[in-house]
Amino acid sequence: MTLDLVAAGTLAAVLAGAALRAATPIVFASLGGLVSELAGCVNVALEGVMLVAAFAGVVTSAYSALWFPDAPLWLHPWLGCAAGLAAGTALAGLLAVFHLELGADLIVAGIGLNILAQGLTVLLMAHLTGDKGSTASLASFALPSLRWPGVDGVPVLGVLLNGEGGGGHNVLVYGALVATGLTAWALRHTVFGLRLRATGENAQAALAAGLPVKRLRYAGLLLSGLLASGGGVFLGMGYLTLFQADMAAGRGYLALAAVFLGGRQPLGTVAAALVFGAASVAAARLGLLAVPAEVVFMIPPLVTIAALVLVRLHQRRTARRRAAAGRAALLSPQRT
Amino acid sequence: MTPSREGARIALAVGAALVLGFAVMACVSDQPWAAFRALVTGPLPSIERAADGHLVMRRLVRFGAWLQDATTLTLVGLAVAIPFRARQFSLGADGQLFMGALAAAAVSLGLGGVPAVVALPLAFLAAALGGAAWGLLPGLLKTRFEANEIVTTLMLNVVAVQVYRLVVGRVLNDPTAGFITTPPLPDVATLAPLIARTNVTAMALVAPAAVAAALFLLRRTTLGYEIGLAGANPWFAARAGVPVARATALAFALGGAFAGLAGFHVSNALLKRLPVDLTPGIGLEGIVVALLARERVAALPLAALGYAYLRVGAQAMERTTDVPREVVLVIQALIILFVVSDRLVPLALGLARRAGARIRGAA
Repeated sequence: MTLDLVAAGTLAAVLAGAALRAATPIVFASLGGLVSELAGCVNVALEGVMLVAAFAGVVTSAYSALWFPDAPLWLHPWLGCAAGLAAGTALAGLLAVFHLELGADLIVAGIGLNILAQGLTVLLMAHLTGDKGSTASLASFALPSLRWPGVDGVPVLGVLLNGEGGGGHNVLVYGALVATGLTAWALRHTVFGLRLRATGENAQAALAAGLPVKRLRYAGLLLSGLLASGGGVFLGMGYLTLFQADMAAGRGYLALAAVFLGGRQPLGTVAAALVFGAASVAAARLGLLAVPAEVVFMIPPLVTIAALVLVRLHQRRTARRRAAAGRAALLSPQRT
Repeated sequence: MTPSREGARIALAVGAALVLGFAVMACVSDQPWAAFRALVTGPLPSIERAADGHLVMRRLVRFGAWLQDATTLTLVGLAVAIPFRARQFSLGADGQLFMGALAAAAVSLGLGGVPAVVALPLAFLAAALGGAAWGLLPGLLKTRFEANEIVTTLMLNVVAVQVYRLVVGRVLNDPTAGFITTPPLPDVATLAPLIARTNVTAMALVAPAAVAAALFLLRRTTLGYEIGLAGANPWFAARAGVPVARATALAFALGGAFAGLAGFHVSNALLKRLPVDLTPGIGLEGIVVALLARERVAALPLAALGYAYLRVGAQAMERTTDVPREVVLVIQALIILFVVSDRLVPLALGLARRAGARIRGAA
């Protein structure tokens, strides 16, 4: 009985770890989407930001080893990480310039930048490696994994904290958790967060109150680029250790869905991102059974749509209940 | 802005994108000039004087590919432009195209021994209905549940591609073919080529006709008026008694019908059978076409011709030089960015004028 319990717990821990790993890029990107959305700029370019960040990270880490052969080995992945974050943020900055300075429509410019990222990464990859599929021929590095000492022998906890093989979770998995906490705190408890949200809530009023709306929107978009870049770097230097053409595979759009699904709240957004990660793990596990692969691939998009509808219905029901409660309070004879 | 100035602005944007694209090509290629020439002249047929003095047209296949591509792009451009009239960003042309192609192929295969006069219109209609039904879905999700249409259309694209693969692989599969595909569509249901050795069919004429029909619908019918009003000012439209939700949902469905026709073009004119690995992505190109046409439905065929020219040129370039065709993605992205940046040209002109004044002042 206890053995069964341990086995079930281990399986659950393995699945939870897999879901967390699959969700990490979406968590990063959805936090990015949330920040810019709250600043009043929906960032459709998350997908492109992730692609560019993954590509820059992988290529820089590989070339860093070629350029600086004497440097310590731990340096290369971190150089790659920095380059990935910088490149992704730069792409988001480009979106900000096109939208805020040149008057481009935000959504169309975002789509344009996604296409640009898709084309440029493949083009440069073909130029550098002669391969249009992946950078498998480059010796790129992965960011280190963190291990918790002293829990290896513990039945379920060991697997949960240090992963199935006991190798620990990638540092960016923890990075996503930290970023979640920081973003939620900054949006709620700092002056900057308040001003950012005010800008998105009502730009006219924010402007009238003397807030630098344009600068805040720049900040929102750049920050969203930085966060989404974290997801991209994880894809190329944690989830896998190479860059593949179209590696983001729609995660940027999924992240956008998570923002709307989570009701534009930090924790809701991250919860939605975790659900998406879990859905993709479930799809992979179902693929092992007799279910046709096509049906399995339909699950995440259908879950997304169903969730959007359900959240809306729930919001409506809550609003109706509140209105009814308000009416009841007004009509009750004991009101003071 | 007047149409001619708008046209000049777009020409300028496309020119700037081509120049930058060439710069990118020069960075990644050993033979940028050859690549650029292939890109710019690739789709044109070459006319040569044969030994006996007759004029011979060569490379008609590529010329045909240009017209075929322009046909598809015009139709998917309509699929983006019509919902955009109602201020809805539909990215769902891909899924609608797959559904249209699937419906057309299924009807063509299922009909059996009927004459072409029956088979062709039925397959045509099935494609339009399939696309329209798939287009109506995001419309209803938007108007009933306020689900963001960018997200839902993208998600429905994924679902449509998987439904397509499921049906082609498991229901319509031809076990005698060496790969997973439907059986060849019966001859009565396919269109004959208008130009020898190409797949340029009557669909090349249907595309402009579809644009004319869409224009008539948008300008001369109540529904078209309602769609325009719902897009221009939904609040006002609702106050004036316009059924905004219905018009918006129908705009999606109408766009879907045209994308479905693009699917008919793919299945019954170009491929004449449907392989399981039909590549998605052409639907997103509809956005570029709709953008280049600047919301003017009448300009769609022109934009489609121009953009298809670039795409076929890129294929010629990839085949003859060392530049991958993805360079066109870069050029396409730059075109999108430059065309939507309303303040770019005035800013550039202003800078140029100021720089000129400074030079004159210094002289």
